[in-house]
Amino acid sequence: MKTMSTLDFEHVSPGLALPPLTKHVTVDQIRQYAEASGDRNPIHLDETFARSAGLPGVIAHGMLTMAFANQMVTDWLGDRSLLKSLHGRFAGMVLPGDDVTCSGSVASKDDETRRVVINLVVTNQRGEKVFNKGVAEAEFSPQKEQ
Amino acid sequence: MTDSRWVGRSYETAPYEVTEQSIRDYMAAVGDLREDGELIAPPTFAMVYGFDAYWQLWTDQEVALDVAHLVHGEQRFSFQRPVRPGDRIRTTGRLIAINTRGDMELVTFELKARDAEDRPVSDGTALFIIRKP
Repeated sequence: MKTMSTLDFEHVSPGLALPPLTKHVTVDQIRQYAEASGDRNPIHLDETFARSAGLPGVIAHGMLTMAFANQMVTDWLGDRSLLKSLHGRFAGMVLPGDDVTCSGSVASKDDETRRVVINLVVTNQRGEKVFNKGVAEAEFSPQKEQ
Repeated sequence: MTDSRWVGRSYETAPYEVTEQSIRDYMAAVGDLREDGELIAPPTFAMVYGFDAYWQLWTDQEVALDVAHLVHGEQRFSFQRPVRPGDRIRTTGRLIAINTRGDMELVTFELKARDAEDRPVSDGTALFIIRKP
């Protein structure tokens, strides 16, 4: 079990890049996600059905890609409860065998509200964006009295 | 083309009982395994406890979305509080817009999740794109 330690708000500054996160997507992971999420839409599970729907084959759930983006941000924050919002567009399909990389950077920081805005994007192994216009907002706990 | 008279239709999930197992299954599926002493669900677990609202929309025979050609185009979440084992969460989804752009149909679905004390847990907005066959 990996443990988390919370990021220090004072160490955050605009332009700071988050540690990127790369994931190799497999048929097994898509099936496992379908079971865990309840989303058993056949475009994610049935190769024949997916092709008949005009897709190149089964595709990963968009929400799996968004979960990767979520993880990149919360791994960096060190505390899942700091994440207040997450938004983005599913710009391209993710297929089994793809390697997707989440990257992001701090867009702004507000010392009054202790809120931090992060811009993020997920690209595949060809550099094509599969999740774009991503924005996450985090709010740090009030500063402890010295 | 989906009939725009269904705009405003809403769907409510049965209370979703969050268990340690459901959180761990989700963490294993997405590969987000980090945890501290206290088990908190990854925020995108909102898609799991709210999923039945999406499912009800997709399978509503009257609205009859062309789900074979439906893809998830965009998603927004706001999180009001962390989710832990023992939470009982009810999600209400509402179909708020049906628009067309070129040969695509855009369906906007808004979600509000609340706990057993009726306090807000998370909000979501999903945009689905239906490609014309």
